[in-house]
Amino acid sequence: MSAITPATAPSFSTEHLVMVEPVSFTGTGGEYFRIWITNTFLSIITLGIYSAWAKVRRTRYFYGNTRLAGASFDYHGEPKAILKGRAVAVVLLVAYQLLSGMPGTAAGVLALLLVAALPWLIWKSLQFRLYNSSYRGIRFGFGGSARVAYIAYLLWPVLSSLTAFLLAPMAHQRIKRFQHGESRYGTSRFHFDAGVGRFYLLYLKAFLVLVAGSIALGLLLGSLLAAYSRRGAPPEAYRGALVFVVALYVWATLIYPVFSAMLQNLVWNHTGIGPHRFESRARAGRVAFIALTNLLAILCTLGLYLPFAKMRMMKYRLESVALLVDGSLDDFVADAQAGAGATGEGVADLLDFDLSL
Amino acid sequence: MSIQASYFDGKTSRRHQVMLEVLDGVASISGDASRRCPLPQLRVSEANQRGVRLVTFPDGAYLEVEDQEGFARMLAATGHTDTLVSRLQQSWRATLLAALAMAAAVFLLWRLGLPLAADLVASNLPPAVERRLGDATLQALDARLLAPSQLQPEQQQRIRTRFSTLADSAEDAPRFELLFRKSRVGPNALALPAGRIVLTDELVTLLADDENALMAVLAHELGHLHHRHLVQRLVHGAAVGAAGMALFGDASGLVATLPALMLDLHYSREAEREADLYAATLLKNAGLGPDTLATALERLGGDKEDGPAYLSTHPATTERIAHLRELR
Repeated sequence: MSAITPATAPSFSTEHLVMVEPVSFTGTGGEYFRIWITNTFLSIITLGIYSAWAKVRRTRYFYGNTRLAGASFDYHGEPKAILKGRAVAVVLLVAYQLLSGMPGTAAGVLALLLVAALPWLIWKSLQFRLYNSSYRGIRFGFGGSARVAYIAYLLWPVLSSLTAFLLAPMAHQRIKRFQHGESRYGTSRFHFDAGVGRFYLLYLKAFLVLVAGSIALGLLLGSLLAAYSRRGAPPEAYRGALVFVVALYVWATLIYPVFSAMLQNLVWNHTGIGPHRFESRARAGRVAFIALTNLLAILCTLGLYLPFAKMRMMKYRLESVALLVDGSLDDFVADAQAGAGATGEGVADLLDFDLSL
Repeated sequence: MSIQASYFDGKTSRRHQVMLEVLDGVASISGDASRRCPLPQLRVSEANQRGVRLVTFPDGAYLEVEDQEGFARMLAATGHTDTLVSRLQQSWRATLLAALAMAAAVFLLWRLGLPLAADLVASNLPPAVERRLGDATLQALDARLLAPSQLQPEQQQRIRTRFSTLADSAEDAPRFELLFRKSRVGPNALALPAGRIVLTDELVTLLADDENALMAVLAHELGHLHHRHLVQRLVHGAAVGAAGMALFGDASGLVATLPALMLDLHYSREAEREADLYAATLLKNAGLGPDTLATALERLGGDKEDGPAYLSTHPATTERIAHLRELR
């Protein structure tokens, strides 16, 4: 399924060709349904212990069914390391729940400690995730430093909240620059060149969509209230409120996927590795349609459609991405020193993270 | 028998086209690369419908096999068996059984395990913790919804004395403390952890002409204290919430919160029924009759119509009144 197109940029060689290699995803809802049910069942009867193994199985299924240029991805996470991380997370959560029930400083101190540790944990989690991913037998990796992680995940969010979130797009750009700019494949680094201006544009677009939807919802509520107050019977008013709540719920379910599709396009259209670049063409309308029909199907099947919904969305979003291969993909070299620090970290998997791909 | 495969050596991203062959328990590849390895040292990835299967060497180098049929035949010839979980995952029948067993397990946990655990935690909670929980709840209520009572001290004292006498008539009445507050949300009575009952001025005024009805409402709240409903509900809510996230958090945060919400509403409806029953017994013993609570509920409900039963915290008032009348 690869097409050959001449590079648009002028180049030295006339043989200079760019191959468009689209990502393909072969996972199916039916198969993931079986994996989901079996693993959820095993997790329940082992009181959650098996969930670490389940996570590895699921991730390996996703990775193994994601293909790019005729090769698939692989995941190497150790269930025991993940289990350790989850145990720590559960202890922290329980401690926090118990302490937050009481007045006093203990809960406040714990919350502050958690916030202070968060950037470090996110950084470690990225290292764990990427080091344990591979493509064509070469592992990914993540560099970065604690200092940059704290600037991206603590300093910028704090500044953004101090400025009434006017700096939120800027903070978001810094986080994505950290995530993508510090990622590695073997010894090669990814590069990321989406400027702050583009993030402001994205937020502006999302804001306009939000306002338009809210106005529509406001009109719906207004007309419902008017209609029901004329009839005046309380059960009718209940029904009106119910319709409004459902509309609000649907709206909340749609807005996030649409935003993340727009974000995916922005981020991946400005990411590259070596001479190769990524391209993402996810359509917001299509994503909204998938999200809405997924929600309806999940509700109608009492949740049984969940794994199908997940596969459907994942397939669309992954298959909107392509790699524009400039030359050959054969020349990446594994990093012999990588990974020593990242594998042992059980806590690193405390936070599960979505990199949009 | 040999099949086609791609070999990646783990050092560079180059793809090597090779043929894979198994002879006398040793796998060997030939073509762009050649290598031999005894079968027990190789790791084969799980079977799946459409994806490729991987054969990994001890040093991380691996083979990608797209020829599913040929590979399946080769695996069968070497006596390779998939893991039990992998076989379960591939079978619809096993999946169906797992789903049924899971539904049964979840149902049992929810109907038997969870109330039992909540009960156990509630009745074994150290008094100091319960006290602090109660203090925190009262502080939060005082800050947002309640103001100091404007009732005459004599009137407060009269209600206190009358209710103490009523409560003393039960053998196993919990310790309680009656507090009066002015409310910003209308007539209400609340049972808090650690034995506090908050009674609002508005409720006293509403039932001013019928003190028996007021006693009935207080007896209902005493029922909540007796069953330690509030602490149970906290434990219950936290557990169901965590389970919902574990099961469905994977796909959507919004969907994950739904079961917790529905189950919590169901649970509090049961709690109301239990408290009604306790109050009815107490009132009967004191010679007032369960009717008193029914009357109080009627007056509290007034002309308000309840929403659908499955969406409300309190069971539809009419349903509760009917229940109480039956107890006579």
